[in-house]
Amino acid sequence: MTTELAIARRAFRQLRVGAVVCAVAFGLTVASSATTYASSFPTPASRQQLAASVGGDVGFAVLFGPVDRIDTVGGYAAYKSFVFLTSIGAVWAALAATRVLRGEEDAGRWQLVLAGRTRAARATVATTAALGLAVAIVFAGTAVLTALAGRDPKVGLGVGGSLLYAASLAVAPAVFGAVGAVTSQLGRSRRVASALALGVVGASFVVRMVADAGPSTRWLLWATPFGWTERIRPFTEDDPRPLVVAALAVAALVAAAAVLAGRRDVGDGTFSSADAAPPRTAGLGSPFGLAVRLERASILGWFAGVAATGLILGSLSEITTHPAPASMSGMLDRFALQGAFLDQFLGISFLFLASLAALLAASQVGAAGEEEESGRLVHALGGTTGRTAWFAGRLALAAVAVVAASVLGGGATWVGARARGVPVGAGELLGAGLNVAPSALVALGVGALSLALAPAVAGRVVYALVAWSLIADVVGALVSGTGWLAQLSLFHHMALAPAQGVDPVTLVATLAVAGGLAAVATAAFARRDLDAG
Amino acid sequence: MSAAPAAIRTEGLTKRFGRTTALDGLDLEIAPGEVFGYLGPNGAGKSTTIALLLGLIRPTAGTASIFGADPWREATTAHRHVAYVPSEANLWPGLTAAETLRFLANVHGTVDEAYRDELLERFDLDPDKKVRALSHGNRQKVLLVAAFASRADLLLLDEPTTGLDPLKEQVFQACVAEAHEQGQTVLLSSHVLSQVEATCDRVAMLRAGRIIEIGHLDVLRGLVAVQVRAVLDGAVPDLAGVPGVGNVVVQGSTVDCEVSGSMQPLLAVLADAGVHHLTTREPSLEELFVRHYEEP
Ligand SMILES: Nc1ncnc2c1ncn2[C@@H]1O[C@H](COP(=O)(O)OP(=O)(O)O)[C@@H](O)[C@H]1O
Ligand SMILES: [Mg+2]
Repeated sequence: MTTELAIARRAFRQLRVGAVVCAVAFGLTVASSATTYASSFPTPASRQQLAASVGGDVGFAVLFGPVDRIDTVGGYAAYKSFVFLTSIGAVWAALAATRVLRGEEDAGRWQLVLAGRTRAARATVATTAALGLAVAIVFAGTAVLTALAGRDPKVGLGVGGSLLYAASLAVAPAVFGAVGAVTSQLGRSRRVASALALGVVGASFVVRMVADAGPSTRWLLWATPFGWTERIRPFTEDDPRPLVVAALAVAALVAAAAVLAGRRDVGDGTFSSADAAPPRTAGLGSPFGLAVRLERASILGWFAGVAATGLILGSLSEITTHPAPASMSGMLDRFALQGAFLDQFLGISFLFLASLAALLAASQVGAAGEEEESGRLVHALGGTTGRTAWFAGRLALAAVAVVAASVLGGGATWVGARARGVPVGAGELLGAGLNVAPSALVALGVGALSLALAPAVAGRVVYALVAWSLIADVVGALVSGTGWLAQLSLFHHMALAPAQGVDPVTLVATLAVAGGLAAVATAAFARRDLDAG
Repeated sequence: MSAAPAAIRTEGLTKRFGRTTALDGLDLEIAPGEVFGYLGPNGAGKSTTIALLLGLIRPTAGTASIFGADPWREATTAHRHVAYVPSEANLWPGLTAAETLRFLANVHGTVDEAYRDELLERFDLDPDKKVRALSHGNRQKVLLVAAFASRADLLLLDEPTTGLDPLKEQVFQACVAEAHEQGQTVLLSSHVLSQVEATCDRVAMLRAGRIIEIGHLDVLRGLVAVQVRAVLDGAVPDLAGVPGVGNVVVQGSTVDCEVSGSMQPLLAVLADAGVHHLTTREPSLEELFVRHYEEP
């Protein structure tokens, strides 16, 4: 038992910073949206007018989840935070779980743990207990900050409601953390394990969107953890039943992870590929070639995710047939969108695609950082490839992948929309896709700078930046004078094409920022000591 | 400056990490063709020296050159001469041994393919196995094969045999000898005295970032005291006057002592007393350091 306790404690040390950051971000987002709403819409009449303008609109429900109860502070806060916070929680927990389980195994430290007086199944359960504690921190932070904001009589959120709401937001991290525990047993490396877990997150996200597309598919909400969070309807309907489903799912997933961990060899996976193979010479000619060879599967996986997202958002855009109520603009979001509701829907869709492109950049930055941290880079740079060339090559590979993913997202959205007979132009949507690339390249630039300064955490810095960017404008609205926070969002200056016009000057400026960051990072990387592993 | 440049030359080479001085004013000159042993306990600064020679890290002070090229400022020029084996073989888990060797050969630019195939046989390495399925020792072999097969002018070997079994250790020592015959230069960092004794001409001993002893092996060998324990048939004779013997401890008919230089005088005295049982042990390098450099 003491061994398991030590394992849990060690895992928790790796998780606690992320947990506290999530807890604070979640709590502040909810508190600020509730406070902002209470002061922007002080009277019942104004709230009803807002609700009437969008309430029941399917397009909004597909993108953002439950929108029909925004005539109350709690209903609005739940709606406003739903998509971004559940996604961030899910991605964080999936990556954290695969890091503390499969990542430790990749690094050879798990083997040391198992040399002690414990077995793989027990060690796995101990590690998931640490994950559970991390999720509990997210729950507690969200509950406390929500309840504190709710004490303001204008806001008026009760303690019970705040607890239920925090529990609903803990569903995604808890379930997807457990999913990550299972995929850590399946894949044979951390990268495969996290790719599988993120794939489950993406699929669950899509199922939730489809469920919200109409009454006939509403039952699908029970099939996805995001749906469970949505079904709870904190502050309005207060339905705790999905929490039971979530708890059962977590228990089943943890049990499955423990059983799988006990059955397989350490260092191996349940899905194992052959240990021997005839040589393939592709990509062995240079460090750049090797990077292309090793990153190909990951990049193609992101492309598949981007294409699927584009196809689904494009085909769901068909439901936005009626024109948008004029009163909606500027009330629901910072997204001051113009034009037909179709364009607004697509504009938000491209915000999702931009996030995916930036996450692709994060994944590439993480891979480059791992190359150095693992001690392999020393061998790649042992010959005639200089550091600058290697670093620039990695950035170029990532940049090409980001731009290709952006265009692919636009193209897939067009295909999805045209398949359902939605009247949109290919050029318009390809352009809208290309429009998200510069912002994602800024994410890559920030990642490059992190690689030059702190390679061990570079990937996580970019993941955190993307998460931050999605909630920045909400938090920035919390207190007057903190509006500048929103300026630090990746997407703050990105036009939501096709709903917003693209300003070429902004586009060029964004590209210049990305290029400048990359150039500074390349120079800094060439000047610092390498980590020899 | 008509003479050929040294394989390795350092002048006042210093590296500090924060407040730790990992290497403190290293002056070293290794001629082409030398097999040089670089000895020291953990944390002495061996790996730091090699990282500086590879241009992985930047010197805090002083200079280094590899066949005349500055490894920090002219890294790719210096790298043309060098093959490197670290103590931990961190390689790409998804590549096979053969693919890894191909990649490393392309990175380095030269490979003696016939010799590589011979080395695969001698090290008993299956080239089609993926790195993730190889043990620590077998991964080490991949890098050793790559380094020896490159026929690089300079082999920088940093405790390269930590995971090898004794038979493969013999193969390794034979390969170093072959590299020597080919005129290659070898810097072998190690804390295994016997390995260095078997392969090296000249040796430096490092401690806390400074060289405390440098010279030919025979000279250093004289510094090494051997621990002797004898169980005698009768009483222990007085060993105080026996040449080379010190630190005598007698307990009943058992005597422990240290011998520097020839064993002959001690053995003669003991044989007269009747030896029931005799064991000798060379002190570890660390013990030698502690004894040799302890403050009086
Ligand atoms: N990157 C680093 N950061 C801080 N200290 C380091 C670093 N690398 C080495 N050191 C310190 O420098 C000293 C020499 O280390 P090293 O060269 O690795 O010794 P050796 O290889 O002889 O065991 C040690 O005290 C070690 O802790
Ligand atoms: Mg070392």
